Amino acid sequence: MLDERHCAAPVASVRDLKVYFQSKRGIVHAVDGVSFDIRDGETLGLVGETGCGKSVTGRSFLRLLPVPPCILAGGSVTFHTHVVCKACAGVGCEACDGTGRQAGRDRSVDLLGISSEDMRRIRGDRIAMIFQDPGKALNPTLPIGAQIAEVFLQHRTEELIALAGLPPDTVGAIRRFASQSPRFGDGWLLSLPGPRRAQRLRVEESLAKMVADALAETQVPNPGKLMARYPHELSGGMRQRVMIAQALACNPDLLIADEPTTALDVTVEARILELIRNLQQRRKTSVLYISHDLSLVRRISDRVAVMYAGRIVEIGTTAEVFANPRHPYTRGLMAAVPGADTPRGKLAAIRGTVPELVDPPTACRFAGRCPHETGTCRSNDPVLEAITPSQSVACFIDHPAQSGERPTYERVTK
Amino acid sequence: MRAAVAPQADDLILSVREVKKHYPIREGALQRVVGHVRAVDGVSFDIRRGETVGLVGESGCGKTTLGRVIAALADPTDGGVHYSMDGEMRRIDRLEGKAAQTFRRNCQMVFQDSFASLNPRHLVIDLVGRPLKVYNEAASADLVERVVELLEQVGLGRQHLFRYPHQFSGGQRQRISIARALALNPEIIVLDEPTSALDVSVQAQILNLLNDLQKERNLAYLFVTHDLSVVRHMADRLVVMYLGKVAEAGETQAIFDSPHHPYTRELMAAKPDLEAEANVEIRGLEGTVPDPARPPQGCRFHTRCELATSACGWEIDDIVRWLEDAPGMFEHLVGVERTSEFAAELAFDNEEAAGLLSMAVRSEQVPEAMRAAMRRLNLDGTKVEIEFEDVGEVELTVRDDGRMAACVLTPEEVASWKNS
Repeated sequence: MLDERHCAAPVASVRDLKVYFQSKRGIVHAVDGVSFDIRDGETLGLVGETGCGKSVTGRSFLRLLPVPPCILAGGSVTFHTHVVCKACAGVGCEACDGTGRQAGRDRSVDLLGISSEDMRRIRGDRIAMIFQDPGKALNPTLPIGAQIAEVFLQHRTEELIALAGLPPDTVGAIRRFASQSPRFGDGWLLSLPGPRRAQRLRVEESLAKMVADALAETQVPNPGKLMARYPHELSGGMRQRVMIAQALACNPDLLIADEPTTALDVTVEARILELIRNLQQRRKTSVLYISHDLSLVRRISDRVAVMYAGRIVEIGTTAEVFANPRHPYTRGLMAAVPGADTPRGKLAAIRGTVPELVDPPTACRFAGRCPHETGTCRSNDPVLEAITPSQSVACFIDHPAQSGERPTYERVTK
Repeated sequence: MRAAVAPQADDLILSVREVKKHYPIREGALQRVVGHVRAVDGVSFDIRRGETVGLVGESGCGKTTLGRVIAALADPTDGGVHYSMDGEMRRIDRLEGKAAQTFRRNCQMVFQDSFASLNPRHLVIDLVGRPLKVYNEAASADLVERVVELLEQVGLGRQHLFRYPHQFSGGQRQRISIARALALNPEIIVLDEPTSALDVSVQAQILNLLNDLQKERNLAYLFVTHDLSVVRHMADRLVVMYLGKVAEAGETQAIFDSPHHPYTRELMAAKPDLEAEANVEIRGLEGTVPDPARPPQGCRFHTRCELATSACGWEIDDIVRWLEDAPGMFEHLVGVERTSEFAAELAFDNEEAAGLLSMAVRSEQVPEAMRAAMRRLNLDGTKVEIEFEDVGEVELTVRDDGRMAACVLTPEEVASWKNS
């Protein structure tokens, strides 16, 4: 899926990200010191159970968290924007060493530090997101075409003007129309018969063409007809396709997919997965794939990060993590999925429940549910450390503890 | 009366016979009935004492509706559910008085959404103790003890008695629902997606609990779910539904080993499990579930089936559906005059579009099976006359070792395609 030269540069790096939430009972440490890289062109799967902070991590990339109650308590999310290779337009040639990017021209920005203005320029253009429930994420009062058109109006004004055959120095009402920033009287001005109206119609025509092309990418039948429809007229799978078209419209460097198939039937889910994978491979987009479904993540990701109670407990290549899970939580999760020959009533459930994240103590977050815990785990906090060049785990089983007894897999604590 | 129906095994407790549930579609100021949504359209199977029957299918296939009909929460439009009482099978919607009470306490239900199914203003003791009170099983101090006993069986305790549902996690709330269902010591429990709102680690706890309870009390479960890995783990027998009908039924293991219906096969291919090879290809289904108000003729699955033959019931609706997505033709369609479901005259407003259609339905653009099923195709100016083979409904047929499938193909044909 991924060749070596892509692995070098990360498209985004999260460092010690801390996102807290103010609540009546105290400060909830929803994400508490998460660090990982998303490499260029890879799919990183982020798995975990409800409330482990995986969605909050995903949303912090686009600053889609309401402040307050959210507190961005620390850390950074660095995003490296790419400059597409001019010689091959991103396909990959000798000049750019097959990566499709111009080397040495990347810019880095800290997504948590930039102004809202800059964030809006990146959001939807360089970084896009697919949400879990397309029924809620699409605007029910606008037809599909108008919703996708917004992306182009916001981020692709220049191309739109060029495609309509207008000079690039076009100003005034037409430019405001093409950048979705109308002033009072513009609508009236552009609807009067005359050259302005003709220009507006041309812009609208090219806009419709761009939208239809974006929709056609997601293999919907008859995009022209779909554009006039409203979200409620479409099936769940179709809505999700529309959302994917919207997210990929501007060819983003990073796509954040937050449980994109959870609301869909299995048969439709497979189609959508295939679609995301195809588009990702063709466009060399990096994907952060957030899901609670292990078998799904295994199929789509190059690397996997397992999250538990606001921390990443294990991260590594998909093959390694699934063949040789090291953290007891990862092991527990995999054993809990009913398999073909698990005897009935003998599913390995993880005992207990997810701990409250209000003022967590200095201890392994999994202590109390872990079958191998010792006194060490209850008084020391393990950190994520590498055990092989491509796999890291946060557990004393693989790392020496500062004091006390070390847990092992053989030793089972009752 | 269809009271006592054929299969009369001793351990039979519930037998579903040709159950139909249609919901009327009303329109206009007078709310005239213009059609029916056929949520469940003729389903039969049996549930025996102590066994788990899995009911699987996509959303909208009628599995939840059927579960509600079986729990007597909805009355069937036609057919009936028969419950074994004092040695004879009796229709549950005709029971009265004492007999109706006996059925209701012996058939309980656990719902998918525990937020919605537990009253947020009631304490746990009220929720779990209510059935005991209603049936005068226990009162005052005795009631508390009985509730504690039930809570302990599902892994909760005395300390939870005086709490409200919102104070519990999703898994614990599902445990409360199960405790409530167990209160009257029922024979059968209808489990409607009991774990689909839960995380895998909690799901494992609940599945283990359900299994322990079943062994202890010799309970029968009807396990309604869309999750194949769960149903394979839990169910002894499986009923696969598609669009209100049974596509396939039989022993769980046998169905997983060799599905006899292409739909079952597609369902399994869409979600390979964690143990399978990582590079097993995942495959989904083309298109969406057809409208249950106008189910397809012949085999209901033929619109999405890759294996469809000319005998699967191709009809005019398939042509119209295909036209909707074909650019440059649907806009010119002015009328469809049907003589039957299988024959019609399509009128266009120009000759070009009519010509395009008659060309298209002869070409690769439509499925080969559809072309093969076409008996007549006439182009007459702006009109296209199309007639398909007249095909009856594909019935559920009994295969060897007690399996049933509704498919015109033999199991070998279905299996050979799987390997290709």
